[in-house]
Amino acid sequence: MSDRDDQEPIDRPEVISLEFPARADLVVLARFTAATLGARSGFDVEEIEDLRLAVDELVVSFEAVQAGGTVHLQCTQQRGEVTIECTVEPGATMRPSDGIAGEELWGAGGELSKQLLDALVDEHGREHRDGQPCVWLRKHRANPSG
Amino acid sequence: MDPPARRTDALDRFRDLSTTSDPRLRDELITSHLGLAHQLARRFAGRGEPHEDLVQVASIALVKAVDRFDPERGVQFSTFAATCIIGELKRHFRDRGWAVRAPRRIQELYLEVGQNIDRLSQELGHPPTVPELAAAIGATEDAILEAIEAGRGYRTASLDAPDANSQTMADSLGSVDSRFAHIEDRSVLADALQALPARDQAIIRLRFIEGMTQSEIASRLGVSQMHISRLLAASLRQLRTGFADGQARDA
Repeated sequence: MSDRDDQEPIDRPEVISLEFPARADLVVLARFTAATLGARSGFDVEEIEDLRLAVDELVVSFEAVQAGGTVHLQCTQQRGEVTIECTVEPGATMRPSDGIAGEELWGAGGELSKQLLDALVDEHGREHRDGQPCVWLRKHRANPSG
Repeated sequence: MDPPARRTDALDRFRDLSTTSDPRLRDELITSHLGLAHQLARRFAGRGEPHEDLVQVASIALVKAVDRFDPERGVQFSTFAATCIIGELKRHFRDRGWAVRAPRRIQELYLEVGQNIDRLSQELGHPPTVPELAAAIGATEDAILEAIEAGRGYRTASLDAPDANSQTMADSLGSVDSRFAHIEDRSVLADALQALPARDQAIIRLRFIEGMTQSEIASRLGVSQMHISRLLAASLRQLRTGFADGQARDA
């Protein structure tokens, strides 16, 4: 990665995909990727800090449910907006029925996570995609012209 | 034994010490230079380490300096001691300030980033972007992001550590706590907060219930935005752990 000559946010989407074991100590990979895309979207440092906290919350809360699984992360930035989508492939030690439906999707601390994310990002949600649980968040640059 | 005669010349007193090894003279020399240790410790205040820890490090360095000083080398003791104390304080920040050891250049850049965020926020009227920070510091954007991430490894200062005005962050939070007394908040977050110390609760409430920005909280408490960021991250980690433990107990 290198510094851009043109600091204007890029118009075409930039997509970075990550895959890593669902372990809290590897969340740094997700945080750093999100922060980098936030910077490229023109976020100020405080928006980047909020994004990093949100990614922590997103991945760690998911990891708690899906211990032993594999995290798939898709990070996209376009026009001053960063979207992070996280799916988790259940680990071999988990039964197919373990904690991947309904309110269990975000784990026992789901309501807490939602409340934190409400304050940190503009939109977030949880759903099933192709039978896989998926949590996502989206954050816009506060000052699009800045 | 008679008390050592008071000498006006510090070098003579150290010469006496080297020949007599008089413990009372040693104590007297240490005590008479404690002001220097306090003064140098204050110069390192506001960098995320509790003031009392810095005074302790500086005082220990002073004792070592008294024991190691050679009056025949033609250097004033205060000069020698200041060099020893500053060296010890720097080592303390390098080795103890970081829970996760980061390369020295990143540690130094992190401190520089923190100072520039506050300065640029004042000058620009909004928190700086990464390119603005990079330009101000003369570093690459990648390095800035690396330093911000490395900041997670920096220990958060005690809320009881006094700032330059001898006021602790806990003092500032006192008025904040009282404002929450009337808030009837039945949210999950409010319940989960009970697991945290009162002062951490207050910061989390300001950010997630009151909706204040990190900069606004930092301004109210008289600390840097990066300090608030570290405190928030640490408190959220503790919150998750506490929540998980509570769930495990209830299961």
